[in-house]
Amino acid sequence: MNLPFDAELRRARLLVTAGSGGVGKTTTAAAMAVRAASFGRRAAVLTIDPARRLADALGLGELTGELRRVEPSRFADAGLDAAGELWAMMLDVKTTGDQMVRRFAPDAEAARAILDNRYYQYFSTSLAGAQEYVAIEQVRALIDEGGFDLVVLDTPPAAHAIDFLDAPDRLVSGLGSRPVQMLRAKEDGGLASRLARSGRGLVLKGLNKLTGGPFIEELTRFLTVFGSILDALKVSGEAVKARLRADDTRFFLVTSPTRSNVDEAMAFRRQLAERDFPLGGVILNRTHAPLAPVPDGPGTRAELDAALVEAGLDGLPSAERARLLDGLYESLARHNRLADADMQAAELLERATGHRPWRIPLFAHPIRDLADLDRVARHVQPVEA
Amino acid sequence: MPDSTPVDRAALFDRRFMLVTGKGGVGKSTVTAILGLLSARAGARTLICELDAHERIAPMLGHPPVGGEVTEIEENLSVVDIRPSMAMEEYALMKLRFRALYRLVFENPLVESLVRFVPGVNDLLMLGKAFNHERETDDAGRPVWDRVIIDAPATGHGITFFRLPKIIRDAVPAGNMHREAADMWALLTDPRRTAVHLVSLPEELPVQETRELHARLADDLGIPLGALVINMLPERPFEGPLAEAFDGVDEPGDPRLRRLWTAARIRAGRAANAEQHARALREMGLPTIELPQRPARALDRAAIDALAERFATQVSDPGTSDDPARQGGR
Repeated sequence: MNLPFDAELRRARLLVTAGSGGVGKTTTAAAMAVRAASFGRRAAVLTIDPARRLADALGLGELTGELRRVEPSRFADAGLDAAGELWAMMLDVKTTGDQMVRRFAPDAEAARAILDNRYYQYFSTSLAGAQEYVAIEQVRALIDEGGFDLVVLDTPPAAHAIDFLDAPDRLVSGLGSRPVQMLRAKEDGGLASRLARSGRGLVLKGLNKLTGGPFIEELTRFLTVFGSILDALKVSGEAVKARLRADDTRFFLVTSPTRSNVDEAMAFRRQLAERDFPLGGVILNRTHAPLAPVPDGPGTRAELDAALVEAGLDGLPSAERARLLDGLYESLARHNRLADADMQAAELLERATGHRPWRIPLFAHPIRDLADLDRVARHVQPVEA
Repeated sequence: MPDSTPVDRAALFDRRFMLVTGKGGVGKSTVTAILGLLSARAGARTLICELDAHERIAPMLGHPPVGGEVTEIEENLSVVDIRPSMAMEEYALMKLRFRALYRLVFENPLVESLVRFVPGVNDLLMLGKAFNHERETDDAGRPVWDRVIIDAPATGHGITFFRLPKIIRDAVPAGNMHREAADMWALLTDPRRTAVHLVSLPEELPVQETRELHARLADDLGIPLGALVINMLPERPFEGPLAEAFDGVDEPGDPRLRRLWTAARIRAGRAANAEQHARALREMGLPTIELPQRPARALDRAAIDALAERFATQVSDPGTSDDPARQGGR
């Protein structure tokens, strides 16, 4: 059966899910990859912080920094076509920091020199976006060199996703920038001695006062070693920048209908647009399907009370049955209030993004296997007017 | 729901320096705002620090945004959104003393490059400014603030944030930066002064992350934890005999009754699922506060006040105004 959202899953080479924390991005990303694999595509899902339950659902026990294939028999178990392939991995930032050094250092010796440097650990925790950069570079390599038809990339929660997605741009512009060129220039005795001469020595004195002298000198020594990998990084950075903006790349904003998440999604959408990242659409997750109201009044109450008795609740005192009805009415009202609010959120999102949102209903039970993930993907439906 | 024993007031409010953290989207800012309100109401001069956060707290409490300046929004309650650039200038001026020297250093292109290239500078500066508020004194040498509450970054990013002073203390052999970082680390790991409060949701990923965070903060880093807030706990439609009666009926014959059953069943299913996750959170053994899911989606001042009320009822002796931090009079 061909469902409306399937077209996206058949066409794209790179799908990026983005949104606030806790809105179901990772599950949505995995669901997309499962369904694409069932169409016969060779798909990979890359996540930042996977739930253990997601790894269980994929039958992988644990997601690691290593790309692993989901057993084809799991597809059969879930009643799905195993025509394609499904692979999964976690983008582990620490590993990729080391990997980046190994991958881009001119030789093993240079790599060792960096990895052994006492500042490396400090840098590797937040290397001006370099780790994020390498994570995205891996995505590009999987598509362009790894033979994958589709990579679904799950991003960190919104606030950090832009940092994450900006990494290639920042890196490329950073590496080409005058500052980095200046830091790297070897003439005039290198950075430390140039700093020492600036402003008749006052600049270095000032910095030393702020930080403690040895720090600046050792830092510049580290930057010199580290500089050896910067050129290699810059070349691949251009390719990564292009991949994020390719014709067959689509970003999907995932949000729950709560106001703060919707607000964050709209702000995020503006940031994506500013960077020319191609927005494929907005997915409103965990929505409530409205239920037809039940009129309230003494007549209906009496009928419903009789229906309760007929349903086997004759043992319950009639005052208790009345309380049960109160609770039932309240639950229905609450449900429909939530459904209304979902619809308002959808309209808000449509006005802000120009895309009619997709919706995924709230499922009563948690994700346990590929069949559950596939069900999520099959339930991505356009919001009805 | 909160039928457990109340949380000892001391576990929540006996520390001067509080950080609120958790996974993104769990309601850290809401809990920060509630803690700020309760602290201020108990008579403690309280400062809430947001970190370059597009200002959520003041508007959430029904006030205009405060910007980068410390602003008193209510009696005893002030808010500031700490911005890295302002923090940098303030810190550098404090150390270098002369604006001309500051400009000579920071307008030097080599230094600009260096600052851009060194990671964590912004986080360290923001944290440093919050630390400075903790030790800020007035002309008579008395602390300006009885309590400083930081709306800390989301975890993931957050664990790096907490480790930063230690990393820098260890990486920088000596000098000012080393001393500052060592001071920050000493405060951050001092159980008499500091508590990190965790906020979580009764959902799978937040629970998992909270448990990991608990282990890494407490066991690996030795950072003292305060309370755990389980936010947005859905309430069950029925309790006791009514719940039994409800569960006992599978498929009522009347179509109206069927719709009512569907709505209540979705609600009950969600509550049961959440309850499982809440249990895993309670098992962590931290003093635990539970906040209900709001039926209304807008989080306005009235909703915050209602949640603060709910919060206060779970803290022992909530009526008292003799705030321990105040009595301590550091």
